[in-house]
Amino acid sequence: MTENSDEKPPVFASWNGWYLLVAGFLIFLILLFLLITKRYS
Amino acid sequence: MNAFDWIVLFGTIVIIVVYGVWKSRGSTNINGYLLGNNSMPWWSVGLGIMATQASAVTFLSTPGQAYEDGMRFLQFYFGLPVAMIILSVTAVPLYHKLKVFTAYEYLETRFDLKVRTLAAFFFLMLRGLSVGITVYAPSLILSTILGWNITLTTVFIGTIVAIYTVSGGTKAVAATQKYQLAIIMIGMLVAGAVAFSKLPESVSFGDTFSIAGELGKLNLINLKFDLADRYNIWSGLIGGLFLFLSYFGADQSQVGRYLGGKSITESRLGLLFNGLLKIPMQFIILYIGILVFVFYQFNQPPLFHNVSLRDKAMATEQASTIAGLEKDFETVFKEKAGRARVLIEGINSHNEVVIEAEKRAIKEIQKKEAGLRSKIKETIAIAIPDANTLDKDYVFINFVMTYLPHGLVGLLLAVVFLAAMSSTASELNSLASTSVVDIYKRSVNSQGSDLHYVSASKWFTVGWALMAMVFATLANQAENLIQFVNIIGSLFYGTILGIFLTAFYLKFIKSNAVFIAAVVAELCILYCYFFTKIAFLLYNIIGCLIVIVVASTIQLLFSERKRV
Repeated sequence: MTENSDEKPPVFASWNGWYLLVAGFLIFLILLFLLITKRYS
Repeated sequence: MNAFDWIVLFGTIVIIVVYGVWKSRGSTNINGYLLGNNSMPWWSVGLGIMATQASAVTFLSTPGQAYEDGMRFLQFYFGLPVAMIILSVTAVPLYHKLKVFTAYEYLETRFDLKVRTLAAFFFLMLRGLSVGITVYAPSLILSTILGWNITLTTVFIGTIVAIYTVSGGTKAVAATQKYQLAIIMIGMLVAGAVAFSKLPESVSFGDTFSIAGELGKLNLINLKFDLADRYNIWSGLIGGLFLFLSYFGADQSQVGRYLGGKSITESRLGLLFNGLLKIPMQFIILYIGILVFVFYQFNQPPLFHNVSLRDKAMATEQASTIAGLEKDFETVFKEKAGRARVLIEGINSHNEVVIEAEKRAIKEIQKKEAGLRSKIKETIAIAIPDANTLDKDYVFINFVMTYLPHGLVGLLLAVVFLAAMSSTASELNSLASTSVVDIYKRSVNSQGSDLHYVSASKWFTVGWALMAMVFATLANQAENLIQFVNIIGSLFYGTILGIFLTAFYLKFIKSNAVFIAAVVAELCILYCYFFTKIAFLLYNIIGCLIVIVVASTIQLLFSERKRV
């Protein structure tokens, strides 16, 4: 087990990239579901 | 069920159990037994987290929830990705740095032994009750469907889980969970594909959205803020965030999964992997319920989905009343199926007049159906007075048993067993870890050898497995099983989260203040549950805020008096 909390993450230059990806995907899903609700209800 | 189904069912279970025992053989130190020697890669951590959260209840109850109530339950998970980000930033590096076995160990470092013990006690209470439901839910449904004795089914599930969890600890849990989750998802997708393939040829996949939407089932997002409404975007984002912060940050059954990661990076990626995939996974499971709903617009469903209970009632003097209700239902259904076909034609030809007319007609028929369903439930309750007539949880499994081909029925039943096993294994493992590390080793016997604590962990696992089977009998009258699990969680999670948030961010607060605040918060939550109609997701916020506000107030007053 390593203890360095500043380990560089894979793919992105920093962990903020990963956090933005997860948050952005959540926003995308909510908008998609809103669209589905409006379109089909 | 034929011989092929039984072979698939028991073959799958035996392979998983043997694999778990074999893969984890030789765990003789406490780190290996409770943390799997911190050797898990991120994908194993992520799959373990998902498999722990997705119990058998998820796969039995969620499609039934969509069938009855539409897709709005999905909003419950909206707070989860945000919680994954917050925990990746805060809890993961902290727990790794302190090299803790359980989340509650950290509380002694920050406060003192009594706060650690109180939080561990709350966890043991909530998880000890929940693990009973985790075992009970599939036992009840499988025993009803297969005609097995409920106690024997409970003992069967509890025993096979205990075998590999006791023998291999965390390593066995992690080794089996990834395969369990893979089989579960394959089984669910196959069930959805079968439901779709049995629809009339004129119904495309896109049409299933149109039909479900026109009949009010695609209620994915509700923007209206209503404290009494269990599922809307705000209760999901705010209440769900608090619930999931607590569940993933302070519940050992989840903390144990990512503490097993081989580095901070692997643990973080495991949590974020869950943050990305959880909502799509729940969407798929709920949509399978919608496909079953659409399927039953064209194929007659049973009037009462717990067919075994209906058959028992038919052996009483209420048989003629039940038969009469079913005859009426057949007539009503035929009319609805005809209307549904016209609705599809209207949707495909974009004829708004036809769509509106058929939609209105189908909704009227649905009211008649609902009336007949209420009547049959009342009749069955008269026929068998102690029977539970809630049949939502039987919608999906009854569809599987009736419409899936042989072999797939065995596979889907294996899915239910495996889901029960994967979440129960994590829960038993975490209950044993907390009992040994936070209570036994800390307050009872601190001088034992590593081997002694491994042995104690195994005995605690056996003990909690036995308790789970006893608690299983308490869950009998739950309205909807998945909801009941979440309600139990919400009774304690807010308080636990409040303790952890205070520990993380309010450094001026000391142990006595947070201890009193936690007791006050828990009493308030119990009051809310028994005497108010506040939506249960909000208990997480209320409990958490009470801990923070009361602890801050006590600490400030105490500091003031000291200064005076």
